[in-house]
Amino acid sequence: MDLYVAAFGFGLVGMSVIAIAAVGFTMQFGITNMINLAYGEVMISSAYVAYYVNKAGVTIWVGMIAGALFGAVFSFLLNRFVYAPFQRKGTSHIGMVIVSLAVSLMIANLLLPIVGYYSVSYQDTTGGLLRAGGIVLTTNQIAIIGVAVVLMLLIHGLLRYTRLGKAMRATAANPTLARNCGIPTQRVIDAVWLITGALCGLAGVVAAMNSDSFAISNGAGFLITALAAAVLGGAGQPYGAMIGAVIIGLVTELSAAAWAPEYKEVVAFGILVLVMVLRPQGLLAKRGALAAAG
Amino acid sequence: MNSYYAANLLVYAGVDIIALLALNLQFGVSGIVNFSFIVFQAVGAYAAAILSMPPDYAQGYDFQVYVGGYQLPFPIPWLGGAVAGGLLAIPVGLVVLRKLRSDYQAIALLVLSIITNEVITNARPFLNGAAGLALVPPPFSDVIDPNTETYQYFYVAMTAICVVLVFVVVNRIVNSPYGRSLRAMRERELAAMAIGKNPVQLKMTVFIVGGVIAGLSGAILVGFIQLWAPSVWLYPETIILFAAIIVGGRGNNVGAILGALLVPVGFEEVTRFIPSSFGPPGLIPALQWVAIGLLIIGFLWFRPEGVRPEPRHVFEGAPVREDLEDARAT
Repeated sequence: MDLYVAAFGFGLVGMSVIAIAAVGFTMQFGITNMINLAYGEVMISSAYVAYYVNKAGVTIWVGMIAGALFGAVFSFLLNRFVYAPFQRKGTSHIGMVIVSLAVSLMIANLLLPIVGYYSVSYQDTTGGLLRAGGIVLTTNQIAIIGVAVVLMLLIHGLLRYTRLGKAMRATAANPTLARNCGIPTQRVIDAVWLITGALCGLAGVVAAMNSDSFAISNGAGFLITALAAAVLGGAGQPYGAMIGAVIIGLVTELSAAAWAPEYKEVVAFGILVLVMVLRPQGLLAKRGALAAAG
Repeated sequence: MNSYYAANLLVYAGVDIIALLALNLQFGVSGIVNFSFIVFQAVGAYAAAILSMPPDYAQGYDFQVYVGGYQLPFPIPWLGGAVAGGLLAIPVGLVVLRKLRSDYQAIALLVLSIITNEVITNARPFLNGAAGLALVPPPFSDVIDPNTETYQYFYVAMTAICVVLVFVVVNRIVNSPYGRSLRAMRERELAAMAIGKNPVQLKMTVFIVGGVIAGLSGAILVGFIQLWAPSVWLYPETIILFAAIIVGGRGNNVGAILGALLVPVGFEEVTRFIPSSFGPPGLIPALQWVAIGLLIIGFLWFRPEGVRPEPRHVFEGAPVREDLEDARAT
């Protein structure tokens, strides 16, 4: 029983990490209509940026900001110079998926000679232990939960109460109509890539902090968990992604306690398959993964 | 030139051609983005391996653990590999191809590929985990000594027969009325449905046929290289095959063969001549992958139809779009 209580604690941290990643991923898809399979690789690149900042003797919290900035700029450039031109050319959905997969392969392999094959970890004190009724977490892990909660509230505020958020929702619903209403959709989409890129970078650093060590090969795993949460919640739905993250985070950690930790991603995949069979549209979306009617 | 090298090259080329003909049928002709294609090849290889290997407690094999080990004679492992590929396609197809939108299908298959590899790597008792299976007996190894030149060319000949067989079968499918239905589905699913085609049925059939051929290609490969491990079927291997299809020409079987010779075979051969001492360790393979990525993006941008574009299937005497536009202009 204690094992499961402790696992619940780790689940809280896990869902925070997944939520940051999944909300960024799902917003990219929902607003720019781009399934960015390079997302996991951008996460891991940002984690490495934070690693080098951290290695230079700066605390990891500054490294986190550096990672977020890197993720924002990198994603923005990726869209500007690769995705957007292809989309303008009229490349099909499937073509875009293939392009993003090629980009993902390129990022991973350009990074490999620079950072090496070996796993690295941040050099930072993990902080003291905090205990609360069987749950044992380090102060760093508590801080990760805090960061995630603040970010989710900020995203909520952005989407509900700002002009930019309103413009984003309009662009997501119907880009042509949004442009006809005088919304500068191009600039909105640029802003989306910057914001979601920052979330992606942050998620990468946080995910790397939460695992003992990380290497390039972790990128695929990061992508799978974010994808699973996003699809579970209904693709393109930020609130759905939050719910998806809570479920995936809890289930994967509890299954790690009950079964075997190396199968965490397999469990995430199992949930993904179940969702695709039973409710392809996800928990919140009306259409989601279902085939378009025409 | 060393004859082993030549035989090696020819068998690899044959296996890649078979695999690409299958992928072209799925992706090029029918528009199914099978990002877990390599898994079907892997299943065929594993099936062929355990069908031809002795049980894992046999002398000389007791350093590895695996299920099965039936020591069956030649055609059975290859047929078994093909059947295994087809059998795997049924549950995967039922989950993925029925309701999902095409881009979700692609994602689901990609994730499946990553996860399957992870499971096989971690579940050691099943297929010996990350170390993989070694000492897979080559076909007819009890009749002819596999370490002779004759055997090498014998293997090349067997591969060539399979290539011809697969080419004939796939060509028949592509150029038949059935192939026309597949292309109609790829171009506009709704229109294909309107004239009474059942896209789920079409996709499932193509998925299974492609799975069978992919399984066969894996069986041929494992009989030749005699080992099979998770590291040889990581998901980027599928991306190489997609690059080959895109370069060769989507929907064109000759293009698929050309793509096989240009991308998987050509790349390996070209980089063989770069001294391995060049740059830090691992630089050359990494740059090879970057080049594959650039190849895909470059071709999709500059020549999306590939080197050998798909032939336009037009009935003799039927008005084509250009004629109609000309007629309207005059």
